[in-house]
Amino acid sequence: MTERIEKMRAFLWARAHHRFRRTPESLGLDKLSARFAEERLPDVTRSARMLEALLRAEEPIILEGERIVATRTITRIPSVFTEAEWAEIKAAHTLHERGTVSNISADYEGILRDGLGARRKAIAARLEDGGLEEGQVRFLEAADTTVAALQDFISKYEDCARRAGLEEVADALAHIRTEAPRTLLEALQLLRMVHFTLWESDCYHNTLGRFDQYIYPFFQADLAAGRLRPDEAAELITEFFLSCNKDSDLYVGMQQGDNGQSIVLAGRGADGRYLFNEVSRICLEASYELNLIDPKINLRVDKDTPLEVFELGARLTKRGLGFPQYDNDDVVVPGLIKLGYAPEDARNYVVAACWEFIIPKNGMEIPNIDALSFARIVSDAVARLPEFPDYASLFACVEEGIRKECARITAAHDRLYIVPAPFMSVLMGGCIERAQDISLGGVYNNYGIHGTGLSTAADSLAAVRKYVFEEKSVGAQELCDALADDFKSRPDLYGKFRFEGPKMGQDDDRTDAVGTALLDSFAAALRGRRNERGGCWRAGTGTAMYYIFHAKDLPATPDGRHAGEVIPANFTPSMFLRAQGPVSVMRSFTKPHLQDAINGGPLTIELDDTIFRNDETVSKLAQLIRYFVRLGGHQLQLNTLNKEKLLDAKVHPEQHRGLIVRVWGWSGYFVELDACYQDHVINRIKYTL
Amino acid sequence: MSKGIVFSIEEFAINDGPGIRTAVFLKGCPLRCAWCHNPEGQSFRSEPMRKKDRTEVCGVEMEADELARRVLRGRDLFDQSGGGVTFTGGEPTAQGPFLLELLALLAGVHRAVETCGHTPEPLFRQVLDATDLMLFDVKTADPERHRYYTGVDNALILRNLATLKESGKPFIVRVPLIPGVNDSLENMRATAALLQDAPGLQRVELLRYHKTAGAKYPMVGRRYEPPFDVNATPAVHDAFTPAGMKLLVL
Repeated sequence: MTERIEKMRAFLWARAHHRFRRTPESLGLDKLSARFAEERLPDVTRSARMLEALLRAEEPIILEGERIVATRTITRIPSVFTEAEWAEIKAAHTLHERGTVSNISADYEGILRDGLGARRKAIAARLEDGGLEEGQVRFLEAADTTVAALQDFISKYEDCARRAGLEEVADALAHIRTEAPRTLLEALQLLRMVHFTLWESDCYHNTLGRFDQYIYPFFQADLAAGRLRPDEAAELITEFFLSCNKDSDLYVGMQQGDNGQSIVLAGRGADGRYLFNEVSRICLEASYELNLIDPKINLRVDKDTPLEVFELGARLTKRGLGFPQYDNDDVVVPGLIKLGYAPEDARNYVVAACWEFIIPKNGMEIPNIDALSFARIVSDAVARLPEFPDYASLFACVEEGIRKECARITAAHDRLYIVPAPFMSVLMGGCIERAQDISLGGVYNNYGIHGTGLSTAADSLAAVRKYVFEEKSVGAQELCDALADDFKSRPDLYGKFRFEGPKMGQDDDRTDAVGTALLDSFAAALRGRRNERGGCWRAGTGTAMYYIFHAKDLPATPDGRHAGEVIPANFTPSMFLRAQGPVSVMRSFTKPHLQDAINGGPLTIELDDTIFRNDETVSKLAQLIRYFVRLGGHQLQLNTLNKEKLLDAKVHPEQHRGLIVRVWGWSGYFVELDACYQDHVINRIKYTL
Repeated sequence: MSKGIVFSIEEFAINDGPGIRTAVFLKGCPLRCAWCHNPEGQSFRSEPMRKKDRTEVCGVEMEADELARRVLRGRDLFDQSGGGVTFTGGEPTAQGPFLLELLALLAGVHRAVETCGHTPEPLFRQVLDATDLMLFDVKTADPERHRYYTGVDNALILRNLATLKESGKPFIVRVPLIPGVNDSLENMRATAALLQDAPGLQRVELLRYHKTAGAKYPMVGRRYEPPFDVNATPAVHDAFTPAGMKLLVL
């Protein structure tokens, strides 16, 4: 880290820039929705006007040392609707989460290639076409308003930079206001402005896509022209990364840190070449040096990825960042093609806020629209255990439960309403051509469903099969009674099922096959179904925060889990697995047909930080990760933890402000999490030696 | 087919030889080192071990071929990573016939044995012949101290060390650094002197004592009262690199 970056990092870490912040109320922005309502403005116009008003109200702030500028000064983005209007909308529609566009990936490559001016020209040309419907005209006008508002915002910063004598900054801003960037600095500045504006437009979980791929041409041009040395380029990229941490406390998701600022590095191109370039390397190094939670790195890998790339990733894991997350092209790309994605789009996949695979530019997908609880379905079936003569009939009942739950979920998400996002639309493929807001759909409109408690469900079924149907050492009614009273009167059964029962993660083929069968049923139950936007439904292996929600009212289960006790996050073995180690876990969790459940959701492994005794161990971890990829795993995230440190951080949060953990699909600061998420991390199995 | 007693099998062992290894812990040891961090590995019998929420049986009897099959499940990973199997303990040579049979069954896999060296010399030679890498502990060069802190004197150990050196086999020497016991510069120099003229010596590893070593004693119903200051930090003296040896401090 250069001295300049170090100073800027210290400044941000001290939250010194927070003093520039103002609430929307203090600026009168909270009153806008009422005025919009009075004027009976259409929704897309409101979105544009709100963004315009916010960007006008922003104060240009250039922090000391900055070469890439834009700092948020407004604490919150007010809604474009009044509360009464929201009540009406909710009565007529379903909403996804907060109701605004989220968790998609803009076409950054395109905007960096074309520049803002070209987009305004395209909008103007489309408006001249004639034959447009009123709504289409309204959308195009709204889209133009947002770009114009961003251009004015850039001008404001340009003036501020000139006044401060920062000619280089001012010149870059002057250029990118209308033109496509020519240099790395200009490209990063435009990217910063565009990304900043997405957040300002109330879109959230704004991912950053294949950063190394779309930034590389600028890097290369600067180096070729002798404008930059590699270390200077690295410093600029590090500064951009730092800028992602500047306002991120205002980008709240389910928890602080869950802000969706993911980037994706490398991956195989259309010609089969592995696209790891100098920028990819700089990104991994920048992240290592900054030691901050944003941006959250995904590394696309495959069976032929050089070990050195895995080693660069493993260094970050050792550092305790909880990323990179590894995504296996050998599984993901064919899986997406099977779902109907064009091969070129499948190959261009990126990762949404956590681990959902999405398509930049063309995907208006909702990969986290709902969650199916495998554990609940199995629990319900086991409650009727005395009815079943054999294991096959029990499993048939579970499959029926999965089909019913999929039918219920897919029917529940109709009449969806999403607040228009004209600025995001400017950055998405085809919106200007179609003269239609991205909130109404893109090229791909698929929905994804998480599958929670898979190992809880598989372990429960395997235990019932073993003890009730095969060994017959426990009666069906006897087990039901024990579960109904939470094992209170049967501590013997509790110990047997919890500690001796078969568990997915021990590389036992028969038990693992139960997990495979459950996932297959899930995928089959969704196959052929269409959502109201014409998209498909994707089965997934993630949980998001549902691993907390779904566990709360779940009765005791035959894996020896108490009523209400937690279930594991994501695609992960039981928390009371008597683990042989991470190798068996990897073998077990790469057996299912993961191409068919490709919504996303990683195997998550926690490592005790004591295993990293020297640099050799980093290389060995890299080999383990490559082994997982070669076994055919789809996605992997690793957490390096020290339990004592975590426990101490609960008592003395002030001494551990920088302590980072991977929560369910993102890295956050441990002390900023709610206690239930903290405890879950503490109680996960950590592999030590 | 012989049987042996095993108290743990750990995958992803990355500090016990090259590559990613499976570490097999054979139960029972002739030494009683005051700092031992695997007290459950000392007795040759299985025993109850109390964990936080349950009591487990520590030590299971296994057939050699069953255990070999279990190890061979990791073969693809050994091949990819240049790893293999490491027998440790306890003292693996204390279950000599069992260990020899395992080493024979696993020919073709890279085999390492971690030993305290307190092994009858003929057996030590047999094990050495069937092993690709030895991890040889040298606790202290001083015979009296050795007897006081481990329960045995080091004459046999030093004879086996000499055999190992002469054999030319690759080996790593491990020295647990115990505060006030063996962490003096004098002992390090004496240890380095023992390791002169050893073409097979790959490096010396100094393993710093940590007070968590005592954590498992109560679980097997014992008190941890070692005759040294557990809170002291061991001194690290490098007498090895000046003598031309590679050193790794862990």
